[in-house]
Amino acid sequence: MKSMKKPLAFISAVLLLFFSAGILASCGSKKDESKIYVGMECGYAPFNYTQTDEQNGAVKISNAAGYANGYDVMIAKKIAEALGKELVIVKYYDFDALIPAVQAGSLDFIIAGMSPTDKRKEQVDFSDPYYESQLVVVVKKGSTYENAASLSDFAGANLVAQSGTFHDEALLAEAAAYGYTRKTPMATFPEMVNALKTGAIDGYVAEEPGAKSDCASNPELTYVPLINNVTGFQASPADAQIAVGMTKGSKYRLAVNEVLASLSEEDRLNLMLEATAYATGSNVVDGE
Amino acid sequence: MFAAMGEILKKYGGWILQGVGYTLLVSLVSTVLGLLIGILIGIFRTTPKPKNKALAVLKKIADFLLSAYIEIFRGTPMMVQSMVIFWGFALLHGGRTMNVIFAGLLIVSVNTGAYMAEIVRGGILSVDKGQTEGAYAVGMSHFQTMRYVVLPQALRNILPSVANEFVINIKDTSVLNVIGFTELYFQAKTIVSINFNTFATYLLVAAIYFVLTFGVTRVLRLIEKKMDGKKNYVVLGSQNMDADSFARENAATGGQNNG
Repeated sequence: MKSMKKPLAFISAVLLLFFSAGILASCGSKKDESKIYVGMECGYAPFNYTQTDEQNGAVKISNAAGYANGYDVMIAKKIAEALGKELVIVKYYDFDALIPAVQAGSLDFIIAGMSPTDKRKEQVDFSDPYYESQLVVVVKKGSTYENAASLSDFAGANLVAQSGTFHDEALLAEAAAYGYTRKTPMATFPEMVNALKTGAIDGYVAEEPGAKSDCASNPELTYVPLINNVTGFQASPADAQIAVGMTKGSKYRLAVNEVLASLSEEDRLNLMLEATAYATGSNVVDGE
Repeated sequence: MFAAMGEILKKYGGWILQGVGYTLLVSLVSTVLGLLIGILIGIFRTTPKPKNKALAVLKKIADFLLSAYIEIFRGTPMMVQSMVIFWGFALLHGGRTMNVIFAGLLIVSVNTGAYMAEIVRGGILSVDKGQTEGAYAVGMSHFQTMRYVVLPQALRNILPSVANEFVINIKDTSVLNVIGFTELYFQAKTIVSINFNTFATYLLVAAIYFVLTFGVTRVLRLIEKKMDGKKNYVVLGSQNMDADSFARENAATGGQNNG
């Protein structure tokens, strides 16, 4: 083999150059003050999901392929417009990583169908709620639980919820009372849809808009319409609502609340219907 | 099933290609950088103890730090390392996260470097001590010995291991999805979040990974063959033959020889 042409110094120089260039590049990229960085999962229709194209007002995702759309994106656009800043959507596939990101300063807002629970309020501030929904259970058509009227009809079922959410807390809290089994929480909704379709679980917990959207995208699924605190899970208003998360003491809080106040109950319902229609549109690939 | 996979490929081909591109980029660059790191560490650790007392102490400290680096990066999962490095950086820099591509390259290079250091050390040890002694005997410095005599031989010996590391890296870059690096597995997750077709999507991605690793293995084997050169001569094992035996053997076989 020919002798190595690279002297030691050269190798060290190459490595040093590479690492320092990278560190400098990262340090140099300050968060642009003329933009607001909004984090979301982009995998929770109809609140926030990924599209392959920019139809229906979708916004290009800054750090991954695809365009983001949904109820949360619509709210984000309104907030960005009111603040006079450019909207940057940052995809956080890991829902649990959103709060640390806001705390670290990488994000200005979390608009990801996140509920302002007490535990979360200890770590970040929340705006006024921008939607409130019922917790329901999605099941397979034709299963024994299809016609359940309340939680007590789920005795003996295997139910699951998304990890790190209030849905899972509620599921856990009432497992003993109603006799169903709470399975280990899963990371994403597509995972739960898959588990349900293959029969690994009997049902998963979702918010009603999400359930509607999942059922429209997966015709073999349907959902049991429970009502919080009546036939369904015990949920305080704070748990059933979703709000915009931001850093503690954020200067944007008042402005965001103003924007949200300008949306009437009916406006919100219409936006949600619009988002659901877009979500179940042309972006579904036929399965088996 | 195959129809579904074909559909996914047709509809999301662009995203998949992007994922493959990033996967290959990170694996290739990180393997090369890791090898460079390994070589540097290998040269440093085999340097003979300096005569100067102060330098000797410094070398001992440096050796210890390098050992710590190797043990820590080999002893923790790369997924955990990527979270620690990525979010640690963000914490130290008031929230600014590292550029994700750079983070991916850094994490995999540093991780690979730790493994390469051991591989290179093995390669250097596998070169006959006589080579080093001979080089010193003709007056070469340690660095010259390494550069002109030992490392070229060591590198040829460790080439299969390096190729192995490259293939391992192609698969292991999938753990970078936790920091949002858009390699192939991350793209698969995104696709599934739209089409809800878990099995077909991941089966397709598994097939793509296999094509990548198999292809790379074949190409690297070709390179190894090229490096060995033509087989119309044989290298003598001169370490186990003295001059007389060699001459005798040469005469007996009439010029043809088996080392």
